[in-house]
Amino acid sequence: MTTVHRVASLALAATLLVTGVARAQDPRLLHRLDSTTLAAVGALLDSARTAELPVEPLVQRALEGAAKHAEPDRIVAAVRRLAGELGVARDALGRESSPAELDAGASALRAAVRPEDLTLLRQRRTQSLTVALAALTDLVVGGVPPDSAAAAVLALAARARDDQIADFRRAVERDIALGATPAAAAAVRVDATLHEVTNAAANPNTPRKP
Amino acid sequence: MFEHDDDALNRMIDRLREPVEMDPRLDARVMARVASRGFRARAALVWEWLRRPRAVAISPIAGLGLAAAAALLVWALPAHSPQTVTPPAADVTPVQFVVVAPGAESVSLVGDFNDWDARLTPMRADRDGRLWTVTIPLPAGRHRYAFLVNGARWLADPSAPRAPDDFGTPSSVVTVGG
Repeated sequence: MTTVHRVASLALAATLLVTGVARAQDPRLLHRLDSTTLAAVGALLDSARTAELPVEPLVQRALEGAAKHAEPDRIVAAVRRLAGELGVARDALGRESSPAELDAGASALRAAVRPEDLTLLRQRRTQSLTVALAALTDLVVGGVPPDSAAAAVLALAARARDDQIADFRRAVERDIALGATPAAAAAVRVDATLHEVTNAAANPNTPRKP
Repeated sequence: MFEHDDDALNRMIDRLREPVEMDPRLDARVMARVASRGFRARAALVWEWLRRPRAVAISPIAGLGLAAAAALLVWALPAHSPQTVTPPAADVTPVQFVVVAPGAESVSLVGDFNDWDARLTPMRADRDGRLWTVTIPLPAGRHRYAFLVNGARWLADPSAPRAPDDFGTPSSVVTVGG
């Protein structure tokens, strides 16, 4: 091998190495994180890709931390925690779940919803679970006990449309703001929503609420 | 014999030296013929020029420089990932964000729909400078966001559910159906 060949091979190897490293990272993170944090987050992203988990929520969590000038350790910990929650959500919701469903499922788990309830929701609802999971999470964050919130959303899951579930969540929040106890508000409103769902099914020509 | 030949030769030379009367439309005709060869003929010439093999001499240091430049180019270009593709307009819903921030000089909407970049979605104040609003299209899903006041103070949306906090500052969530 001549000197020219050796130099050319070296240049090619260097090119492949640099471009490979660049591709392994998300370019949006390159100028937002310091090199140590970037390496740690990059390793977590690689693990997520290997596990076939959605990477975008992890990138966004790192970007959020960078925007808020969080400590590097805190950013890495937040990304690692979210990756774990996405994994649990995927186990509970199934491998066919969309990235949006997994993201919403991870938020529900963070709010203390049980993985078993996520699995039940998947079994009962044929449509996308994103709005139902988001409503469940928001109810719990708003003060409804996780068991009560899960029971309410599961009761609606089979027949209610996304907009009806979203209306239910808003109605519970209004009642809580007006002084109702969160559990009572959820129980009362789920009955009302089920009644509305049944009526809508019986009278399909009834106009929807705007 | 030789003088006769010289005379003849000189006459021929003189004749040849006489200016030729050319058709004044010759230039126009030539240019018309060239033009009539068309784009395909010229493209064929260019293609032939491009295909012709050539020996290119390059020093090792120049080769390394070219490799480094190629690597830098790839590094600098944004990666194309399905999750970063802007969704088509049909899959997005306009969502209005409103916050009361009297006396603020600037308010930005910052969230996972704009890569948490405070420069991308500035909000506009009403005449009194109290109510700041912006409407943006959002794809289906659950989105985390917050308001950044004067580039320094983070505010959650009081009209939206709170997001779990990882960084010691408030955030909110909005869910777009789908």
